[in-house]
Amino acid sequence: MVFSSITFLFYFLPITLGIYYIVPKKFKNFVLLLASFVFYYFGEPTYVLLMAFSILSTYIFGRLIDKNRNTKYAKLWLILSLIVSIGLLIYFKYINFIIQNINLWLAHKIDFINVALPIGISFYTFQMISYLIDVYRGEAKVQKNLLKLAMYVSLFPQLIAGPIVRYVTIEKEIENRTHTMEKFAQGVRRFIIGLAKKVLIANVLGEVCTTYLATKELSVLYAWIYGISAMLQIYFDFSGYSDMAIGLGKMFGFEFLENFNYPYIAKSITDFWRRWHISLSSWFRDYVYIPLGGNRTSKLKWLRNIMIVWLLTGLWHGSAWNFIIWGLYFGILLIIEKLFLGKYLEKIPKIFSHAYTLIIVMISFIIFNGESVNQILTNLTSLIGIGNIPLTSLESIYYFKSYFIVIIIGIIGATPLLKNMANNEKYKKIINVLEPITLVVLLAISTSYIIDGSFNPFLYFRF
Amino acid sequence: MQDKTKNKIIALGFVTILFLFFIINLVKKDEEISISERRKLTQFPKLTLSTLSSGKFSQEFENYAIDQFVSRDEFRSLKATWSNYVFKQKDNNGLFLLNNSIYKMEYPLNEANVQSSAKKINNVCQKYLQGMNIYFSIIPDKTYYLKKDYLSIDPSQVEKIIKNTVENVKYIDITKSLKLEDYYNTDLHWKQENLQSTVRKIEEEMNLQNTSNIAYEVKPMGNFYGAYYGQLGRKISPDKLNILVNSTIENATTYNYETKKTAKVYDEAKWQASSDKYDIYLSGATPIIEVKNPNSKTEKELILFRDSFGSSIAPLLLENYKKITLVDLRYVNSNILQNYINFENQDVLFLYSVVVLNQNVLK
Repeated sequence: MVFSSITFLFYFLPITLGIYYIVPKKFKNFVLLLASFVFYYFGEPTYVLLMAFSILSTYIFGRLIDKNRNTKYAKLWLILSLIVSIGLLIYFKYINFIIQNINLWLAHKIDFINVALPIGISFYTFQMISYLIDVYRGEAKVQKNLLKLAMYVSLFPQLIAGPIVRYVTIEKEIENRTHTMEKFAQGVRRFIIGLAKKVLIANVLGEVCTTYLATKELSVLYAWIYGISAMLQIYFDFSGYSDMAIGLGKMFGFEFLENFNYPYIAKSITDFWRRWHISLSSWFRDYVYIPLGGNRTSKLKWLRNIMIVWLLTGLWHGSAWNFIIWGLYFGILLIIEKLFLGKYLEKIPKIFSHAYTLIIVMISFIIFNGESVNQILTNLTSLIGIGNIPLTSLESIYYFKSYFIVIIIGIIGATPLLKNMANNEKYKKIINVLEPITLVVLLAISTSYIIDGSFNPFLYFRF
Repeated sequence: MQDKTKNKIIALGFVTILFLFFIINLVKKDEEISISERRKLTQFPKLTLSTLSSGKFSQEFENYAIDQFVSRDEFRSLKATWSNYVFKQKDNNGLFLLNNSIYKMEYPLNEANVQSSAKKINNVCQKYLQGMNIYFSIIPDKTYYLKKDYLSIDPSQVEKIIKNTVENVKYIDITKSLKLEDYYNTDLHWKQENLQSTVRKIEEEMNLQNTSNIAYEVKPMGNFYGAYYGQLGRKISPDKLNILVNSTIENATTYNYETKKTAKVYDEAKWQASSDKYDIYLSGATPIIEVKNPNSKTEKELILFRDSFGSSIAPLLLENYKKITLVDLRYVNSNILQNYINFENQDVLFLYSVVVLNQNVLK
């Protein structure tokens, strides 16, 4: 089920909230578990058993690791548990990509396996791994109640597109959490803002991206409209989803960590990745980079560690070469920044470091969105007019005029400007009146866009 | 306002809105059709173990929830308004309002689709029309007559593709015979009373008798809310629909091959009852319909391959023919035409709008 759907907003959510707040405290976790399975089943009926199996195996391995603590078996159980969860991820997500690439070298081709990607598997697998490793390291207490562990993994606000909420983050809240009017209102605000980001900005800019990718009238202007729109679309889509997840979490008493921190105001790629999909980059840092030795090792190993992390980050986003290239591209840039560029970026006027970061990120998303090498090259070279393409065309001018305001709103919305204005103590009284009105308007307009538009799933569902 | 009050309003307000819509949608009776969008609305999907486990139910349920949402039309209208006034978007789902007239963007040219339309036309020519006088003409979409800031398909691009595929046909260029004012404000179609120069052009190119001396009475029918009106979802003043009448048209009779009914050229019952008032012309969309002119001075016949635009122009071609057979290849397969029509040296005119040719809808 998608948050930006009528089914979710006006059927699933009122029913779930209603039951959740009526039942006594001791049943609340169970209600959430049940609701989460309904949520998942409604969108992905085929794989609900797969998720249940993964949860069960994580539960058993967690118990085994805990039981054999301080013996050599603990590590053995951990390794075995990782083989199971990563094995399932590889099978369901990467098997055909692997076969396709092996086939390049084989005379007798291996047949592809008929398997579809289970929604959210990349997210919940990473959550389960974090739980198992944390239990092994003694950083998290083992969960002895299967239902509670199942509730954690399947918790519908973050189940299918993150953020990757670690077990330790909500460990205490699973046992005991508070529900206040303030928290609920904060949740509503976050949720509606996220919904509007997704429906009013990301989806609308998605239209112009689709139109561009199908056009035969390339022009420099059009390529820039695409580059900027694609950047804004992916940010508003994904951060909108995280906002909705965090907001829903609050409505049910949970406090998830932030997943985005205005990445487009970053001054370097290093800075960008501290602000973009924070739950994923910190996951890789804690469970891959640091265990490999991080930067406390020889220079060569350090560089190797960075490249491994970014190869995996690319691969995590999808089983295709463009994602691998996308990851490695960032790996290389981060190394360059760490070795020498970073120092210069701090010295030069801010405007240049911002421009550098934005251009690098825009190029990255053109690679990310590309369906073929040719398409990626055309989209990149069109930005600087290579290939005899005109500066403008009728079509590009039409779409420029048509999407100008949305792009401007998107650019402003990607900075903390509005947030700072809303938090200004001087205007608190007016803002307190304006806030509920704005939220109602945004909810109404978003609903009207959902009713008018066709089905439009989240970009990050592929992962 | 205090933070506490604000939080209360937001939290309770949100929950109230969700529950209110949930309950109203639950209680509200489902509609069969949408009058403004002229389509059937999705009904509650079949709930069985198999539709549930295949995911079919959840998909259809969302369509159902969207289609049957309370005040759907008002929400669509809200979206159109927001897109126009706040986002300043030039079109909403391809539709836009300009100087009190509604347009729908048909853009870009889909070469593959036009190519397959052309192939269908060519098949018909090869199979049935060898040695006959074949003409074809393309009706521009009204956006073509707008200023160049709007995107439209140039009919000459369509013409080029068709000419490359279809052999031995003569092209009639009517782009200069039409103007923006010849189309309705709330509909995609042309106005019958404005077709004189187009008819002249066709008569000239097809070596027909010039009928400019024939007089028609313009009979006003009343207000006409065209197809774009409901689709756009904003309030503008309606068009007036007129029909052209003279004794030839009055005396002519139609025979519909599908309903096997005889009727008059103008179907006033449809004007009263149909959701699309344009159906007054030859009773609207149908696979094959013939119009007989009992007062004809010639024995000539015309086969008109057409879309909905053909219904209003056909009566004006009657002076030159004893019988006009109108065939809509969207509703009848071109491979079975010989079961219904005796092809023998009639004049043949393919008259299609850009909008239809640019979609792959000919059978």
